Formats: sequence, C-alpha cells, structure tokens
Amino acid sequence: METHKIKLTNKLSDLEKIRDAMENIGAEWRIDPQTCMSVNLALEEAFTNIVNYAFENNDPQEIVVDIKKQDGKLIFVIKDEGRPYDPTKAPEPDTSLPAEDRPIGGLGIFLIRKIMDDVKYQRIEAQNQLTLIKNINP
Amino acid sequence: MNVSSEKVQDYLVINVEGRLDTTQSDSFEKQVMEMLTGDDKKVILDCEGLNYISSSGLRVFLIMQKKMAAEGGELRLCNLQPSIKEIFDMSGFSMIFTIHDDRDAALNA
Repeated sequence: METHKIKLTNKLSDLEKIRDAMENIGAEWRIDPQTCMSVNLALEEAFTNIVNYAFENNDPQEIVVDIKKQDGKLIFVIKDEGRPYDPTKAPEPDTSLPAEDRPIGGLGIFLIRKIMDDVKYQRIEAQNQLTLIKNINP
Repeated sequence: MNVSSEKVQDYLVINVEGRLDTTQSDSFEKQVMEMLTGDDKKVILDCEGLNYISSSGLRVFLIMQKKMAAEGGELRLCNLQPSIKEIFDMSGFSMIFTIHDDRDAALNA
C-alpha cells in the first residue's frame, strides 16, 4: 500500500501545498491529469471550508491529509481539531435553477460529493475526520 | 492567474489564464469588475488558458453573468478545457452560461 501525508495549517495560502502534493502524487501514482485536477478541487473545497469555518480564531492550527492508494481507490482522510462539522449533512443546492435564482456560493460541498465516489464523516474525540474516496483504474 | 481584455469587433473579450482558486478569486473578481464598466453590452470570456477553477472562481463567473443580465448585456464563454467543462457540467453552470467551442464561434454566434 502506498501512502502520502500533507501537513497544512489554517491559512488559505497552504492551497499551494495541496496543489504541489497532488502534482507529485499524480506523477508518482500515474493518475490521469483530469482525475488529479478534480481531486485537487475536492481537497481545496474541503480545506477551504475548514479554514473559513472550523476555528474560533486565527491561531495556527494543524490540518492533516492522509492519502493512500489501495484496491483501485484513492483514499483521502482530512483531519482537523476544529468545531464539529459534518459536511455530508449539508443541504444540496438546486443546480437546475437559472442564473438569476442561483445563490452566490454553496457549491463547494456539492462539488466534493459530485467528484468523489464516497464521502464519510466521523468525529473522533476532538477531531473531525472527513474521508473522501475516488475510484481509479487499478 | 492572469486577466487581460481587448476589443474585438464590438465585443469586449476578457482572457483569463492560469488557476482560479480560492486564493485568486478575489483578485479576479476585482479585475473583471473594473473591466465591466457597463459600457460594453457584449462580453466574451475566453477561457483558453484557464486550467483550474474551484467554487470560488465559479462564484465570480456567476456574479459576472448576473451583472451582465441586470444591465441588459450578454456574456458568452468560449474555449473551456475539457476538465473545466466537466466542472461546469457538474455544477449546472453549463445550463446557465452560453458556451461556445472557440472564440470565432462566440464572435459569430
């Protein structure tokens, strides 16, 4: 089993670390560029939500992404110690609405669900653990 | 991320290049809002060089569309890379926007 870990802090500029890590992992594990891009997007949306909403203040906090490739799946576990938040419970936006009725925003979690094949949330002691699974060709 | 604009026939063509992620979207919004002065009723957003977009970038596209519609103008998109088109399809944005294959098609539609 192959694994990687991305260590992040709660600042949006760390998106660069996600991008760099996914570029390296994509090359190492030979993931097609389109899958790499959409997975990067799902990670960005999850990370941005944590940075913007999980913490009471701007004190430095660690956010870790554990990544493994196993049985034709990419498995990402995003861990933070912010307030409990289950994105799998977020309401679905209505993507059939015309432009004038579409709310500005609210798409991030929806995109995570669309891109990933499975999304699970667990609260373990003081930690949020969001697991994102993407099926790839083994 | 880079944004530039040019006049082509009676269109304002805005070119966006690079990555439109959460760290870039505020700057992108500010720059395109300065370009959309209300004088140009026909605007093309050429996405040929756009290789990544997240929900924060989609949000700015939606703001542009609403602004143009409110002013009686028209916004056309063109040259979406397949990975970007996929995100537009997923989010329902393909139905909201008028999307052309390339700039010529957008200019002559």
